Amino acid sequence: MPEQKETLEYDVLVVGGGIAGGESALNLANIGYKVLLLEKELTIGGKMILLSKVFPTLDCAACITTPKVSEISRHPNITIFTSTVAKKINKIAEHRFEAVILKKPRYVNVPDCTGCQLCEEACPVSVTDQYQYGLVGRKAAYIPFSIASPRAAAIDIDNCTLCGACERACPTKCIDFTQTEEEYLVKVKSVVVATGFNLFDPLKIPRYGFGKFKNVITSMQMERQLAPTRPFNTILRPGDGKMPDNIAYVLCTGSRDKTVGNPICSQICCMYSIKQAQLLMGALPMADITIYYLHIRAFGKGFNEFYAQAQDMGVEFVKGKVGKITENEDGNLILRYEDIESGVVKEAEHDMVVLSVGVLPNMEISETFENKNLELDPFNFVGQPDILASPAKTSIEGVFVAGTASGPMDIPDSILSGGAASAETTSYLRRASL
Amino acid sequence: MKKKIGVYICHCGGNISDYVDVEQVRKAVENEPGVFLAKTTMFACADSNQKEMVEDIAAQHLDGVVVASCSPKLHLITFRAVTERAGLNKYNYVHANIREQVSWAHSDNKPGATEKAIRIVKSAIAKVNRSESLEPVKVSATKAVAVIGAGVAGMRAAIELAEAGSEVYLIEREHFVGGRVAQFDDLCVSTETGKTLVTRLYDEVMKHKHVTLFTGAEVIETSGSVGNFNLKVKVVPRYIELRCKEHQLQDAIDVCPVQVPDEFNFNITMRKAIYHNYPSEYPQLPAIDIKNCTRCGECEKVCENINFDQKTEYLNLKVGSILLATGFDPYEPKRGEFGYGEIENVVTLPQFKRIMHYSKDKLMYRGKQIKHIAYIYCVGSRQVDGENKYCSRYCCTATIHSAVTAKNKFKDIYNYHFNRGIRTYGKQEVLYDESSRKGDIYLQSFEDAPPVVEKKGDKTIVKITDILTNNKELEVEADLVVLVTGMVPRKENSIAGLLKVPKGRDNFFNEIHMKLRPVETVIDGITIAGASQGPKNIMESMNSALSAATKSFSIVNAGELALEPTVAKIDKENCEWCGKCDEACPYSAFTKIEYNGKFIAEVNETICKGCGMCLPVCDTNAIELIGFTDKEVESMIDALV
Repeated sequence: MPEQKETLEYDVLVVGGGIAGGESALNLANIGYKVLLLEKELTIGGKMILLSKVFPTLDCAACITTPKVSEISRHPNITIFTSTVAKKINKIAEHRFEAVILKKPRYVNVPDCTGCQLCEEACPVSVTDQYQYGLVGRKAAYIPFSIASPRAAAIDIDNCTLCGACERACPTKCIDFTQTEEEYLVKVKSVVVATGFNLFDPLKIPRYGFGKFKNVITSMQMERQLAPTRPFNTILRPGDGKMPDNIAYVLCTGSRDKTVGNPICSQICCMYSIKQAQLLMGALPMADITIYYLHIRAFGKGFNEFYAQAQDMGVEFVKGKVGKITENEDGNLILRYEDIESGVVKEAEHDMVVLSVGVLPNMEISETFENKNLELDPFNFVGQPDILASPAKTSIEGVFVAGTASGPMDIPDSILSGGAASAETTSYLRRASL
Repeated sequence: MKKKIGVYICHCGGNISDYVDVEQVRKAVENEPGVFLAKTTMFACADSNQKEMVEDIAAQHLDGVVVASCSPKLHLITFRAVTERAGLNKYNYVHANIREQVSWAHSDNKPGATEKAIRIVKSAIAKVNRSESLEPVKVSATKAVAVIGAGVAGMRAAIELAEAGSEVYLIEREHFVGGRVAQFDDLCVSTETGKTLVTRLYDEVMKHKHVTLFTGAEVIETSGSVGNFNLKVKVVPRYIELRCKEHQLQDAIDVCPVQVPDEFNFNITMRKAIYHNYPSEYPQLPAIDIKNCTRCGECEKVCENINFDQKTEYLNLKVGSILLATGFDPYEPKRGEFGYGEIENVVTLPQFKRIMHYSKDKLMYRGKQIKHIAYIYCVGSRQVDGENKYCSRYCCTATIHSAVTAKNKFKDIYNYHFNRGIRTYGKQEVLYDESSRKGDIYLQSFEDAPPVVEKKGDKTIVKITDILTNNKELEVEADLVVLVTGMVPRKENSIAGLLKVPKGRDNFFNEIHMKLRPVETVIDGITIAGASQGPKNIMESMNSALSAATKSFSIVNAGELALEPTVAKIDKENCEWCGKCDEACPYSAFTKIEYNGKFIAEVNETICKGCGMCLPVCDTNAIELIGFTDKEVESMIDALV
């Protein structure tokens, strides 16, 4: 049984500490509301903090995310709980919500941790690193990544052998194995759902060979290889550590594909693939990059120009759907695809393949609402019953949605959606005080 | 001179340290005058390093701080805040840019890059040695916002601002609100029509006591700055008195001899100089288009409510923030562009929507029934030769939606989509799927070989080399050719000129940061919403309107604003008003005042941005820039060379 802690009171509960939830929380805090921000991961910053650079500005994602994250974590009106999920949320009346939240133990006393990483050195356990999307390993005692917020160690208790090496190595004695799950009752006046999205799991398309052929990776793995906090400090193909010189991108992996149950377009994959192609041409000047696409969706501000730039740089765009990927003995990959412009099925060899995986809904949150139904749309994103006039409104009055929880979108659209959620929350809260 | 300067040199996770030897930089500067500690750090901006800096400054009583990292555009404010949190006046912080100006610029020369970085850091140390503590300029903010443009974005923003607790002036140039959406019938991803959406927004605007709507109103003068803008608004009368008698009004419209193209219908119909609103436009009051009125007096003879004595009024408004929601224009094809203006059955997408509006059972245009419709995409967008390189974002979905609507509403409709790669992003994809299932034909052209529209006898033919059928030359005989025209910035946007709102390369309003600050502009207190910032659909415009409302509200809600004290300062004794500073100033921050029997310049501290444009033009060297004084800049130059 989790330890029952005191009841907490805030104006707003924001569920999800990614870029949209963070924007909502900051706007509300700046207006003067007290916000509790929940994040299920060990760090806030969502998926954006893990990216390399962003399209079409090519700003380093870490460089523009860290000040935002830092602003959120320092704001006197924002309280952040990481490793915490909302177990249930009930609407008692208008402007009265009660949530039960569960804070999982980190086994580290965060304020005392200096991030010295001595525990990491001492820990004898190696497992794959989820924040590097399985490209490299990490220890069971670990700091998520260097720009994590909070930048503090955590113990992965599922993989920990309880050998005690980390405790002995820690200079500030901040590791505490007696920590237990804590449950809080939270009373708030309004809720913002900013639970983000899941990436498509390409194991669901066995003909692309992900998981079987080592040189087939996902776009998020490539994102990590290109990021400033990258694991290899260069681009390597995982099969043999060779620097690739002929890379293929397979767009619409898990998007616009009814066979995997996802008929919609993920809205971001074309652009992030074009961005990665441009970055790869900088990192590997001799490499050829080919993008296999159905339609290039370069629709946002500056996007079409960015697409044209990639064409000018020499990125090859092939209009065609990849049907199947097979592997040669040397680890190279053969892509069998329909070349739409010539109307015939062709094969091409590449030494590394990146699957541009799509955006899927994160459906956990709808089950959290107990006495009211948080309706989902036909694609299982959070429904928007008044999508044209009040896109942040949900089926429950006083519960607002921000960012990709309501559908695929890129960073500026997530920021706008986060802003809309904070605006609607503000006027909802003001009605409570009148 | 300082005694305890802290210097932090950032690796930027490799962005800097891959090319600059940061340890060598550290060693080279640690013994500079005043330097007390010099450290390197993986990410200076990361929370953990900020924490360490705060501890250093407080525990060691540092009196100056330098961070050598990325551009100050990114992190000057971040590190000023760090010093402030540690109890040190934030103007004792100096930023050195060794990423954009060094590591990224000189990735081909590592020793040279390191040497340049050392000098840049030394010059920052020289500057911080001479820095002074400064206090911000405090101004109180007026709790009111002017929203310019009463389309759906402007109305939505106005409602939200009023709900949050601000006074709102909603200023619309036309006599009717509703903007572009009033011209639409069925809307995508919703069962609503343009009329129902505009109606409910207008009703809410009118019911809210804190929103004041002005129609026929245009801002003609602006002054002031964030917290306190003064707007002079010209309000043109309708020349018709309230509660006019409906039948008399119709008589007046009937007798009016003037016929002008009706812009609401994109000129496919004509209207009189005295005209009524459309059902989707508000307020429901007629107006006289005085520009086209010949003052013949016929209407006055049949209607007693017409009053040509109504006067243009001028109002002065004071607001803390301005939210621009001035919308877009549809691209107007050039004469001959895909036969536009030359072949009678070539129309634009906005015109097509109005044609559908006026058709029942059968789709009719110019007396002929329309069955075969050819849509030509990307007209005025993604131009290979023209200026508009951008994608207009909404048109693929809007066209497919219109095509599906036409098919559902009228008999025997056959749609042919001459596209350049369909961009129904996100959930809009299902609409593309639906139209394909219903039998719409998609043909795709190459970027550099657009389809051709031509007349063959009395037939209109569209020809294409089609990518999707192995480059076959295909022809479609069309009853109607619809040019899918994109969004372009408003041609007439006087407020943007008055406020000097920056524009991007696509000529839409430019935001501060495309990714993270999409509704704020570099002019403090001015926010941008909807399609004025770039093409958007309705939902996206609403999100942007609500975001801009939040940002504007937090400005006016603050009560007191702290502005940068790094502004120009006049040496009153040396100034001999010549006016050159006033001419050079892009913000109109100077005024001419009398002082000791002569004229001198005075700086409005709340308007001055500290850009320094006035300094080099001053003949008597009577202007000093606080925070960039001559002695500071000279010491920096000495350290650099």
